[in-house]
Amino acid sequence: MAEAATIGDGRAAGWKKLRRRLAPWAPLLVLLALCIAIALVNGRFVSLRNFARIADAASIPLVLGLGVTFVILMGSIDLSMEGVVAFAAIILCLLVANGANANDFGLLGALAVLVIGAAMGFANGIVHVGLQIPSFMVTLGMWFVGIGIGNAILGGIQVRVNDPLIRALALEQFLGLKFQVWLALGALAVAWVVQEHTRLGRYIFAIGGGEDLARLSGIRTGLVRIATFTMAGVFYALAGIMAAAQQGSAFALIGGGRLFTAITAVVVGGTALWGGQGGVLNTLIGVLIVVVLANGMVLMGVSPYVQQIVQGLLIIAAVALSVDRMRAKLVK
Amino acid sequence: MSTAAPAPALQLVGIEKSFPGVKALQDVSITLGVGEVVGLIGENGAGKSTLMRILSGVYQPDAGNIRLHGEDTVLRNAQDAARRGIAMVFQEQSLLPNLTVGQNIYLGAEAQFSRMGIVQWSRLYAAAARQLAKVQVDVDPSTITGDLDFATRQMVELAKAMTLEEAGEGHLVILLDEPTSVLEQADIDILFARVRALKARASFVFVSHRLDEVLALSDRVYVMKDGGVVAELPAAEADTRQLHQLMVGRDRHSEYYREAQQRPFGEKVLLETRGLCAGAHYRDVDLTLHVGEVLGIAGVIGSGRESLCRTLFGFEQPTAGEILLDGAPARIAGPADAVAAGIGYVPRERRNEGLVLFLSVAANMTLASLRRVMRHGMIDHAAEARLAGEWVERLHIRTPSIRALCLNLSGGNQQKIVLAKWMNAHARIIILDHPTRGLDVGAKEEVYDLVRSMSAQGLGVLLIADTLEETIGLCHSIMVMRDGRVTRRFDAPSGAKPRQVDLVEHMV
Amino acid sequence: MNRDTLRQLMPIVTLVVLVVLVAAFQPSFVNPATLLGMASDTATLFVLGMGVTFVIMLGGIDLSIQSVASLASVAVALLITPLGYLAFPVAVLVGALAGLLSGIAHVQLKIPSFIATLAVGGVAAGVALLLADAQAITLGEVERGYVGWITGTSLGIPHEVLIALVVLALGTVVQHYTAFGRYSQAIGAGEPAAHAAGIRVGLHKTIACMLSGAAAGLAGAILAGRLASGSPTLADQLLLPAIAAVIVGGTAITGGVGSVWRTLVGALIITVVRSGMTFLNVDIFIQQSVFGAMLVIAVALTIDRSKIPIVK
Repeated sequence: MAEAATIGDGRAAGWKKLRRRLAPWAPLLVLLALCIAIALVNGRFVSLRNFARIADAASIPLVLGLGVTFVILMGSIDLSMEGVVAFAAIILCLLVANGANANDFGLLGALAVLVIGAAMGFANGIVHVGLQIPSFMVTLGMWFVGIGIGNAILGGIQVRVNDPLIRALALEQFLGLKFQVWLALGALAVAWVVQEHTRLGRYIFAIGGGEDLARLSGIRTGLVRIATFTMAGVFYALAGIMAAAQQGSAFALIGGGRLFTAITAVVVGGTALWGGQGGVLNTLIGVLIVVVLANGMVLMGVSPYVQQIVQGLLIIAAVALSVDRMRAKLVK
Repeated sequence: MSTAAPAPALQLVGIEKSFPGVKALQDVSITLGVGEVVGLIGENGAGKSTLMRILSGVYQPDAGNIRLHGEDTVLRNAQDAARRGIAMVFQEQSLLPNLTVGQNIYLGAEAQFSRMGIVQWSRLYAAAARQLAKVQVDVDPSTITGDLDFATRQMVELAKAMTLEEAGEGHLVILLDEPTSVLEQADIDILFARVRALKARASFVFVSHRLDEVLALSDRVYVMKDGGVVAELPAAEADTRQLHQLMVGRDRHSEYYREAQQRPFGEKVLLETRGLCAGAHYRDVDLTLHVGEVLGIAGVIGSGRESLCRTLFGFEQPTAGEILLDGAPARIAGPADAVAAGIGYVPRERRNEGLVLFLSVAANMTLASLRRVMRHGMIDHAAEARLAGEWVERLHIRTPSIRALCLNLSGGNQQKIVLAKWMNAHARIIILDHPTRGLDVGAKEEVYDLVRSMSAQGLGVLLIADTLEETIGLCHSIMVMRDGRVTRRFDAPSGAKPRQVDLVEHMV
Repeated sequence: MNRDTLRQLMPIVTLVVLVVLVAAFQPSFVNPATLLGMASDTATLFVLGMGVTFVIMLGGIDLSIQSVASLASVAVALLITPLGYLAFPVAVLVGALAGLLSGIAHVQLKIPSFIATLAVGGVAAGVALLLADAQAITLGEVERGYVGWITGTSLGIPHEVLIALVVLALGTVVQHYTAFGRYSQAIGAGEPAAHAAGIRVGLHKTIACMLSGAAAGLAGAILAGRLASGSPTLADQLLLPAIAAVIVGGTAITGGVGSVWRTLVGALIITVVRSGMTFLNVDIFIQQSVFGAMLVIAVALTIDRSKIPIVK
């Protein structure tokens, strides 16, 4: 394809440049427009209490979205989050003070759950890289492995969380926002530092931009992939802890529907599925778009089921708009 | 010690390299002095790219030595070559478009700028700015690389190469592979000025199809042909005419190309283009293909001939001009339209675009004309088998069975299946893009026979050949392209063929 | 014996070994009644799997099938009163329409199939929730009169099995005797070459998506008849087993290799494993995990790595 790389056709380059300049701001503009539109229709949207509600609803999708953002930046996908969330939430409930056994490991239990999340992500990564299986297949398997094992441990029942510290995440407030919101913001900060200031973050972008070139530059792409899936697993486990806190209990389907929302958020935020474009701040915006939209629809009295339909259409629209048609020659 | 001449920056001694069925390099010896620019020229397939890949550590030579600054060296892989101060500036650029310039320059080498795992971008950008200053390019290292124009990216590539100065052993060897092929003249002048300025810290190997540029920039020139070095001469004493002569070497054998079977072609025009343009690939191409005519297009990489053929088959869309089929304007929106209009395409990438390797011989043969073996909307497997059997016999295709996967057949037999596919589809126009690439001599001759018989049956053939000899030997008419424009047309009737050097003059 | 024959034989051998193993532990497993029961349990799974086989053969994936099947079950439950038997073809049509939507998103908008179908699945689930108001709709006494063609038996053979056999026959014809079947194999095995042979790749991808949707619609209709109800979550546990059935049967996710027969074998393997686990008192909840693991192992064994230079 030597001939394909031709002289940058002046006008096309200019247009491309303009598009590249504007593209990062599009999700933010959409979010602002959405807020204004909803506020105009329903004044109750603009209130501190409603904003706190939105922040609350956004915290778990944000943490999940952060994890999967890194995977998507590499051009891969991770479908396992519902399984990891379920498994993590169930293990958490069994380790901290709960209604089913005498354990009371407190924070140590939460830490153990993060390690378990990392292990599940690591398993994704090692199978994906070691056996050279496309990530969507590996993680599809892990999705159901996680739910299945979680289910088997619980035997189909629910376990209540009694640990005050965990419960506090969803019950206690600080500066008008629930603890879990602060926890999610902390996760965002960590993710941002990883993305902007570590080699791992840079290599994730490099792999997304062109894996062969990255390898030629001496980057050990297999290791980066495994590390990224492991890191994603930790984020999912954290989300699992938050979900258990919010529900006050754990059950096998605690992750249900979260994958769809998280992927919608990442994609709507402007992170490209082909990898290399976007980032965790995009995901923040994307999560807010999805949550604000849902919030607005509730305020307007739209059926909650319509939300799912809207989310599905949002994914299609967002991906369709972000497709670089020159690059996506062979879409599978 | 000061009286001893410094060891050459790079010395290749007796390099050999073979690929299955092809001897790509034989006994190649090249010397690159410190601070010297050496030009490397040769026709397509002369062995230049293989040599560059050996130098950059991508291929390992089968025999021979590589000496860097007088020491025998083994280049295990690309990173190894980089560590020893050999950098390659590719034509297809190696920069990631989504990263910043600075991040690209130090990609894979960020460790030196990080403290406790946190990369300090300000330090990295400062260092990147120093590299950019070496090549005197005025770009903010935090610019997104994809936003830069091609020429600037090329300079960034050079700056990236210069980082090896600090990382490795000082004096660098930089391989420039066709760096100018898509640059404007003003940018070429800048690039050359920078290269000259850098001669104090690096030696260069310069590969290009543009002979005047090679002569302008190089101190010495090596001419390659058929995998060997055929001449080495100081640039000051050479002229382009002389280089042309050296590049083409021996003359064709009329026997080999079945010249005696060449018959005059018909009057009727099958395919015509008027003022066809495709962005920067080619401009204002007028072409006429008659019944029974074999029309060759000669040109080097970047001449636009491949792109032209891909336009005629609908892979790419022209930006201006028109295509006429049987005298009527036609729109070819995709390969499906081309096939429906009776055009067949034998691609250079045979294993990718020519055949579905994981499909049987029979299924590949009927792929473009399945309707011919369908009865009442159903595939008639028996009829398909009969048809495939006939082609196997007619073209002497060696395959265990017509149900065997194409994957395991030899290149020659695969190519015959591709040709059978189009003849089976009753194509009237066949576009041959490097039809003999990678084939052994016997298989090549069989392809030549097929080209002759297609011509005799009144098919129009558009040929991009592997070599000039092939173009001259097979074609009725030849169109020469350079930098996207038709520079010359030749008639090549049997017995009055143009010489290779006539063609080369208009190619480079 | 080369790798490809091995790949073809392995699913059958696995099936036989599994049956023998389970029978050795539990002889009652091989009596005709149990086997027929198993066959009818397999029917829905096979119909779902056969549809998605067409998409996987092309190198894509359809993650929307469980939602589409659920939507179809809701459609049946809602329409059977006004339309009678016509409700069933309508359900299949609804499935095909969902498939068309996936196909358009995938082909025209160039969205990767897994994300396009994930999104369409979300839309279908939303529509089903909306139509059914998130409730299961139980069929009344009168409506149940219409489902005899699903739940009844003829000559001792459950109708579900007969339906599955008809679907199998149709699938075989489509795959072996139509231009679509041939082209989809070619596209899956080598898309650039198929494109260069003048095949309208996008059209055939869209057809495959529609077939997958239609099959999911039929599976939803069968489920609705079987369970005498329609619900927006009726088929929720079927996505993984259906895809696992296709892959375990030996169809490669890289495309080009596979057939509806292989999916039949795969679906039977899944059913045998499931009933085997039940017979052997394996915790019912861990079965999902087993299928997940089987899926990954089967992919590892069937995938053609030479076709994907960079595994993402």
